[in-house]
Amino acid sequence: MVIGNECIWNLNLFLILTVVCKKKNRAPLEPITPMPGFSDMDTPELKTRLNRYGVRPLPKKQMVLKLKEIHQYTHQLMSSESEEEADPLQPALLTFKKPTSPPTASPKKLQFGDDEQDTLPQSQDSNTSSTAESDRSNPELCRSDDDDSDSDSITASQAATRERDQLAATRSFILSDPLLYRQVLQYQPLSLASLKAALRTAGIRLGTAKLLDFLDSQCITFTTAKPGHAAPLRRRARARAPEHAGGRGRKRLAKPAE
Amino acid sequence: MVVEVERFFGVYMLYCTNPKHKGRIYIGFTVNPQRRICQHNAGRRGGGAKRTSGRGPWEMVLIIHGFPTDIAALRFEWAWQHPHVSRRLSHVARRARKESGLHFHWRVVSSMLRVAPWSRLPLTVRWLRQEYWLDFEPGLQPPLHIPLTFGCVRAKKNQQQEGTEREESQVDQCLLCGEIVEASDRLSCFHPSCKMVSHLICLAKHFLKSEPSHLLPVEGVCPGCHNSVLWGNLIRHRNGCYGDLEEITSRSPQSHWADELQS
Repeated sequence: MVIGNECIWNLNLFLILTVVCKKKNRAPLEPITPMPGFSDMDTPELKTRLNRYGVRPLPKKQMVLKLKEIHQYTHQLMSSESEEEADPLQPALLTFKKPTSPPTASPKKLQFGDDEQDTLPQSQDSNTSSTAESDRSNPELCRSDDDDSDSDSITASQAATRERDQLAATRSFILSDPLLYRQVLQYQPLSLASLKAALRTAGIRLGTAKLLDFLDSQCITFTTAKPGHAAPLRRRARARAPEHAGGRGRKRLAKPAE
Repeated sequence: MVVEVERFFGVYMLYCTNPKHKGRIYIGFTVNPQRRICQHNAGRRGGGAKRTSGRGPWEMVLIIHGFPTDIAALRFEWAWQHPHVSRRLSHVARRARKESGLHFHWRVVSSMLRVAPWSRLPLTVRWLRQEYWLDFEPGLQPPLHIPLTFGCVRAKKNQQQEGTEREESQVDQCLLCGEIVEASDRLSCFHPSCKMVSHLICLAKHFLKSEPSHLLPVEGVCPGCHNSVLWGNLIRHRNGCYGDLEEITSRSPQSHWADELQS
């Protein structure tokens, strides 16, 4: 992305404004993404955030104001009757990355939320508390490589019934497989990929997000590491290794112990 | 008193005592708290994290331990660090203007212990430094099986080898269903005088009678000695990490954390 000065930022702002304005005529608008607590952030974080937009460091108050301004321009507004879940992870900066793409194409791209686990750009830091190490990927997300969403047209109540049935079936499936259930009972992490494959074989169709919700609700630990691979890809390679040599004692996202 | 724990996975909170950065908080994961705090205070070169380097001295004030695996602990760490990104913590309010970092992170972790996927894990809340100890806010008490304790804790190497071959010659019957119990499926009570042996799944189903919607038990009454036992401790016992359970057997696991305060 562009670095350097406010001119480029202003140019980008212009491009985004055109997008936002085109959508303005939809009735009551409210932000999808809640504004991060810029006022509570520490100066270094404010600097980093501004730097992403190519704005040089400023006095703290001005940085907060600038960030708020940018946030207003860059975050999609949506009509309030939509029930999509607000997802604070979304920086909604796709237009920044592709300023050349025709603005008319972008509203769809900006639409997040309906299938959150699939489309996340895995951006970090967007809302982090100041204690966090920024380069950890979100363990609650999982790239799902399949598409379990049912494309046949069914009513909402049918969908709800189906979901309830699938959840009950998932539960029975775990209970009926002694090896799997023993693993759960001993707190051994389940491999998400294997579980998904087994469920599919058994004819149980449950989307990844729903499956994760179910496992969480049951307090079942799972791992997204593929068997035979060390860990899910992390965005930034840790080139400067010495920091962690023997650091926390274990590899960070290990595979199941056994 | 120092408590030693085998297969230790903990997520801790550091408090900065450096007058320049006083009150800063850092959340981290460790398998060895003593070693980790030394690393933090030794700076980056000594293995400390970048964020804590050069800002010391830090004090490890609070640790949540008892995670069955590093995977569970690391996810807990991430959510504690990123409460406003975590899907499981959308109900946790942002830090209030006059709320200190210590109070905020305490509020976050208190909320975490009450929700899935952590509310059924055999965790312990331990204030390593009692002078920082905060009460649970009203409405943010942890589940009854999670004890609140004070004082040091030390990771201990577990002596897992012994005891495995003993079981092979032994033929046990499940106290619940009467069938033969294979070693891979064997669960026994950790109370020294109790001879209860059962299938993992039989005992789990026995414990889950009162909460049939769940798959993972939290605690129940041992059908052998009729003591209330935590599922997490039975599993630790099964895995050979029972060195530290003797301390636990002396008190009922069901006693509420508040009882600890009197002792």
